[in-house]
Amino acid sequence: MVGEIIGDILRLTVLAGLGIAGIVAILLWKKNLATRVTFMRFVIQAVAFTVLFYIFSYSVPMLYLLIAVFGLSLFLGRFFCGWLCPFGLIMDLEIMVRKALKIRHRPLPDKLNIVLHKSRYVILLVFLLLPAVFWILDSQEVMVSPLMAQLLAGHYRVYSVILDPMVPFIVPWSGIGTINLASINFSYPYAQNIVTFIGENIGIYLATIFVVVTLIGGFLIRRVWCRFCPTGASIAAINRFKGFKRVPLLYVEKDEEKCTKCGVCKRVCSVQVNEVYEQKSGRIGTSQCMLCARCVEMCPYEGALKLKLGNKTVFHSRNWLEPPKVE
Amino acid sequence: MNEEERQMKTKIVEKKYLPEVSQKEKDELRATVKATSQRIIAENIERMKKADPQRPEALKYFDDIANLFGKRQEEIESEKAKGKKVVGYMCLFAPTELITAADAIPVRVNSGWYDTSKLGDRVVPVEVCPVIRSTIGAKMIELSPFLEQSDALISVLTCDGMTKLSEILSDQKTIWGMNIPRIKDSTQSLRFWNDEIKHMKNQIEKFTGNKIDRKSLKEAIEISHRATRAFRRLQKLRKGNPVIMGRDAMLVNQTYQWDDKVRWTDNAERLCDELEKRAERKDWVVSPDTPRVMVTGTPMFWPDNWKLPTLVEEGNPPGIIVADEQCSGERILNDPIGVDEWSMDDMLNAIGERYLMASTCPCFTSKDGNEDRINWLLTKIKEWKVQGVVYYVIRGCMLYAMEYSRVKKVLDKINVPVYYLDTEYTREDVGQLKTRVEAFLEMLNARGDF
Ligand code: SF4
Ligand code: SF4
Repeated sequence: MVGEIIGDILRLTVLAGLGIAGIVAILLWKKNLATRVTFMRFVIQAVAFTVLFYIFSYSVPMLYLLIAVFGLSLFLGRFFCGWLCPFGLIMDLEIMVRKALKIRHRPLPDKLNIVLHKSRYVILLVFLLLPAVFWILDSQEVMVSPLMAQLLAGHYRVYSVILDPMVPFIVPWSGIGTINLASINFSYPYAQNIVTFIGENIGIYLATIFVVVTLIGGFLIRRVWCRFCPTGASIAAINRFKGFKRVPLLYVEKDEEKCTKCGVCKRVCSVQVNEVYEQKSGRIGTSQCMLCARCVEMCPYEGALKLKLGNKTVFHSRNWLEPPKVE
Repeated sequence: MNEEERQMKTKIVEKKYLPEVSQKEKDELRATVKATSQRIIAENIERMKKADPQRPEALKYFDDIANLFGKRQEEIESEKAKGKKVVGYMCLFAPTELITAADAIPVRVNSGWYDTSKLGDRVVPVEVCPVIRSTIGAKMIELSPFLEQSDALISVLTCDGMTKLSEILSDQKTIWGMNIPRIKDSTQSLRFWNDEIKHMKNQIEKFTGNKIDRKSLKEAIEISHRATRAFRRLQKLRKGNPVIMGRDAMLVNQTYQWDDKVRWTDNAERLCDELEKRAERKDWVVSPDTPRVMVTGTPMFWPDNWKLPTLVEEGNPPGIIVADEQCSGERILNDPIGVDEWSMDDMLNAIGERYLMASTCPCFTSKDGNEDRINWLLTKIKEWKVQGVVYYVIRGCMLYAMEYSRVKKVLDKINVPVYYLDTEYTREDVGQLKTRVEAFLEMLNARGDF
């Protein structure tokens, strides 16, 4: 038992070490200031992905995971979406492939994007109600166990919907919603729940359709799911609590005087946040922003955009034409 | 083309604007104006050399290029003989990367000759901006080497003068107009402008016969990036104690408009290396207490319209120009093209945005007025530690003149003196300007003493 724990700690330390090594390697090797953060983000996403894989392989109660993510989000907001989320990683990998193939991305029409953003809580609610709906439809289950038990711990766990994007595409279990190829179990966010909730027969088809549609969507439209993701919306909701405004928060800030309105920030944003361009100055408060810092990285004017944690500037825009200084 | 053919050609097309000037008169006028101009170029450079006895070696290259009737003209001529096309442009909004990508040579053809503005008076009234009149005049006597060499001209319809200038020049040149939106930061403007850019790409491709593909465009953008990097390096050096005369830096900046971009970049980097060493030696061009001046307003084109910088830097007491906010200056190169994904589509959009949205030209307004320019001025004043601003307007330049009161109001608030200097394309008012400029510098000095 103790040995196992030590082994785990050791493994996680090695992982963290590898992550740091990756970041250092990028700092030294990536000479292009315009893509450094993007690469660093990949490293961190990969580490987060592996950590989640471990967590899943020890069957830690899902509720704990949920609490951990929400706890983190109190401070960091949608940082999770930009830097940690495995579904986000899938979509970012797709972007990478698309870029390599020199295929252009299609932006969502601005209006639609805004509508999706505005209705995020409604969409969240719908997603949360789905388990209950399926529970009602499932006559057998209705008989056996009461609603509350089902929704909190049973077959139709509500919060598993929120946890869905965190299902890595390689999972340490087999069975429902997974495919075993070359003895690796592949899964996909939401696939499992679709099958569990709807039942094997139709569920598998629906899950396949879901996978194909989101893959194609994510390939053509950057971070398409993040525009209305229920997890993102619930994080946003949590981040709204006024009581926590005193703790240091992570946010993007803009300096009006230094901004020339060149529009770069708006174009590079994968979730098409308009505020970062249209708002004149101050904190970019929209919960659409997932704090990926791509805009900060690409803004060509020193200090016009900043990623801040509380009062401290973590990273600010710079003249990315300059070769990086040895740090 | 021999004499007969030339006459034939001019006869065939009926001219809508330009008056007939006999070949003899043309040649005579050209000879005189050219001689004066060459003298002035030499004189200006001589004075710049004298102003800084330790003038960096690397500037020699730019002095060479600054001779409009010299090396660069011959080079372009021989490139043309090899079949390259030359595409001229007037306003800075012309997407030069597209020209470079199509293996053509971009050159800016705005005219700074005082004498030709008098000739322009034959076509348009004197109230019209002298830059326009001078360009018309230069065309009438075929003075400007680069204007003559261009096979086509991109004219972006920014101010009224430019709009009509393109019409007038269309008498003798192929003109491609580009319609630029006046409200620059709305989605529909950007969409419209991006369409113009795409259209221009097709036009350039058709004209040069060279396809602009992803690779060539990427290369062209990277060439621009390197140039911008060198330029920004130079600008950064000017933030500290003065290591280069403002005039020298401005000249370096202007030569980019007709020089080979790659070679220009190499030489600019070399200049920066030299200046960095100079800064280490603490070998300042002028005493660090010299008032630091910024110039903003109407563009000042080499070679004739060099009187203001000369007056400021050779004044008694002298000033030093540490920054400018002009389309003949930093606006040429300051903004990089922020390409995100390097697909054709994204590159074109990035080019569109760089030219339309990053610009602080007063021909724009936006939801909150042209506050971008104000903000940019404020940033520059802070970062370059500017002590006084000369707001330079040549009579007839409405847009800059009209924005003055807004600028003044803002600068008053931060207690930075600004001086409105209006002038003409003429050498006659130099004496009077000298008094005005020196009074302003005197005042800056007095403020500095407190
Ligand atoms: S990229 Fe920077 S300078 Fe450009 S509009 Fe955005 S914040 Fe302003
Ligand atoms: S606004 Fe900036 S930090 Fe936020 S999601 Fe867009 S690119 Fe990322």
